[in-house]
Amino acid sequence: MAPILRCPKCGAEHPDDAPAGLCPKCLLKAGFHSEVDLGAPTMSGSAKADPALPRHKAGSQFDPPPVERLAPLFPHLEILGLIGKGGMGAVYKARQRGLDRMVAIKILPPEIGNDPSFAERFTREARALARLTHNNIVSIYDFGQVNGLFFIVMEYVDGVNLRQTILTGALAPPAALAIIPQLCEALQFAHDEGIVHRDIKPENILLDKKGRVKIADFGLSKILGQEAADLSLTGSHQVMGTPRYMAPEQMQGSRHVDHRADIYSLGVVFYELLTGELPLGKFAPPSRKVHVDVRLDEVVLRTLEQQPEHRYQHASEVKLAVDGIASQPHPNAPIRRPLDSSAPAHLPPRGPATPSGPTRFSRKAIVGAFWSLFFFISFYGMFVVRAVERQEAIQAYPQEGGTVNQEAREVALPPAQDPEAPRWLIALSFIMLALGGSGPIGTTVLGAMAVSNIRHSQGRIYGMPLALADALFFPLIVLDGLIYAFWYLLLSSLYFIEPNRYVPLSLAMTILTALILNSIIVIKAWKAARTPSQVIELPAA
Amino acid sequence: MPPDANEALPNGPPRQFATTQWSIVLAAGGREKKLAGDALARLCESYWYPLYAYVRQRIPHVHEAQDLTQAFFVYLLDKQTIAHADPNRGRFRAFLLTALKNFLANEWDKARAAKRGGERSPLSLDLYSGESKFQIEPSHDLTPERLYERRWVLTLLDQVLETLRGELIQAGKEDYFESFKGAITQEATAEDYDKAAQALGLSPAATKQAAYRLRKRYRELFRAEVARTLSADENLDLEISRLLECLG
Repeated sequence: MAPILRCPKCGAEHPDDAPAGLCPKCLLKAGFHSEVDLGAPTMSGSAKADPALPRHKAGSQFDPPPVERLAPLFPHLEILGLIGKGGMGAVYKARQRGLDRMVAIKILPPEIGNDPSFAERFTREARALARLTHNNIVSIYDFGQVNGLFFIVMEYVDGVNLRQTILTGALAPPAALAIIPQLCEALQFAHDEGIVHRDIKPENILLDKKGRVKIADFGLSKILGQEAADLSLTGSHQVMGTPRYMAPEQMQGSRHVDHRADIYSLGVVFYELLTGELPLGKFAPPSRKVHVDVRLDEVVLRTLEQQPEHRYQHASEVKLAVDGIASQPHPNAPIRRPLDSSAPAHLPPRGPATPSGPTRFSRKAIVGAFWSLFFFISFYGMFVVRAVERQEAIQAYPQEGGTVNQEAREVALPPAQDPEAPRWLIALSFIMLALGGSGPIGTTVLGAMAVSNIRHSQGRIYGMPLALADALFFPLIVLDGLIYAFWYLLLSSLYFIEPNRYVPLSLAMTILTALILNSIIVIKAWKAARTPSQVIELPAA
Repeated sequence: MPPDANEALPNGPPRQFATTQWSIVLAAGGREKKLAGDALARLCESYWYPLYAYVRQRIPHVHEAQDLTQAFFVYLLDKQTIAHADPNRGRFRAFLLTALKNFLANEWDKARAAKRGGERSPLSLDLYSGESKFQIEPSHDLTPERLYERRWVLTLLDQVLETLRGELIQAGKEDYFESFKGAITQEATAEDYDKAAQALGLSPAATKQAAYRLRKRYRELFRAEVARTLSADENLDLEISRLLECLG
């Protein structure tokens, strides 16, 4: 039986035949957190590290120093409190005494200093970042090292980060479409300066109280050791935590990672903002998960292309695409933007629900219109038949009058056929009657359906005026009839009006009120039909 | 003149590692059989011991246990058991144990009856040293499954440390491993460092640098090794936490 040893560090027991005589638990814990090195302890004779500084507990989070410890190190700052912490350090809110403005100060884990080349990299990187002055990028004010602690002083953003916003579910697609263009501007600006962020994710995107977007931690991932030189194993250095926002070429540790990796990460964030989920494996296009414009699918999918060459080559292109879509919420005849030559050779197939194709006039509206035409024809036809019958009645009973009857005779259209109509004609006239009789209902229903179709087609189907006309025509006529009846009854009950004035007066009142009412109804219906199914409103830029 | 500690450790790629080998197996799932087969074979060559120990616990007879183990691997790499791997599970060690249990329940009787003697195992397993290792294991009162996982962790750590040592030997810095291995787990004290500096003839700064680099290299190798047995979108740190739990 092998003797049991106790690990001097964690106190756990382990048998003597444990790997290389080391404590297995400590070996496992040493495997956490590949960004930050867990440094060597001090050597006797060398400068001692400040014992008050936090030790990086193996495998656990960095313990931020308490405010009191920091205060003496930064005499020109009034440290107000801790506002956040993570693997890359802790952030405190502070006030610059002289300028009397709020800043944020980030303290990096102390053991970072154990890598001798770190200080040099840090300085280089910080100077590059200082060039990034942009509304949508958190500005760097100062940086340095004091008592073994590396720090960065930056713009203080009074707000939340995007992760918190997503978690509280406060984002509707319109907000997402407002955030992305700002991100694109910031990224384009940085890329123009030759700086790649490499770690775009919701935690690094801040939203201030005015709704302005600010990207934080630019280039920090580069400072803290993800450079290509460290990647001796393909991808192992990068496969840490949850690298869901990382571009494929980053994940594989390729040495050719450029600004297009940021575009990929932007795409992941975009997708997550729209759908609330991450685009993993075979994922559905956004329009199939939430109610957004179909044209956004193209944009999002293109940013998420596996090959950098197939993505948008510049963040500004993404912004252009998104702006183009948002500015035309539901065009009647949408402008199909042609894919440029650098577009990917393949796009995931679209769902059957939204075929992309040329626009067309609403068929239902047309049919509805014709149906009402039928109605009128048959109406007129009936009218004519009645007139003819009357004429025949007149003929059957000769009257004393003269000219009037003769005129009537001349006017009346004599039926060309035999009074005993053939069967087929009777059948036909029944059909005509049925069709025509149902005209009002048919037209109205078809009109309503057409309106709905057009609204939801996002511009592919047009012809709203005709559809509305179909839907409203007969109901309005019925309404007008009711108005007339109302006025007639009202007026006829008034004693001071002569009976022979009932009709003309009623007519006059009807026309007046009907005009007003109809107009109101038509205008309201028109407005209602015109509002798109989803509202895309951009805040003032 | 103390040797430059910056040259202490090699930075070349390790011999046989491919991250997420398990994901290759899962992804191929029968289509690219050769590729998946190779990846699986390499994984098995690294992690056969926990399986063997599990078998030995169920089957006290040494010879039979060894035959069974061989037959199991023949079965595993021969049939398309890979195709049945549930990609959602993501963990190779779970898959391996399940496959073994299935084999024990269903296939072993058939294989035994068929007396398929003379079958060359596609893997080179040193079952005899596995047996001796098993003999010297301390007794536990854990369930066989928990023991399996515990041994898995120890095997994994062994793999990593062996690779690390191998790299150092190749670079001619064999003694660096012994001197600095304490730095990996931070068990080393200041005295240990002083001793190492003296033994290797390094300056204090160089010693610090060497220790730092060894630790960093260990971590890289370790994470790569863990990643080998995960599918591509598993959380690495989460898995390390799980491995910690396996040790109890």
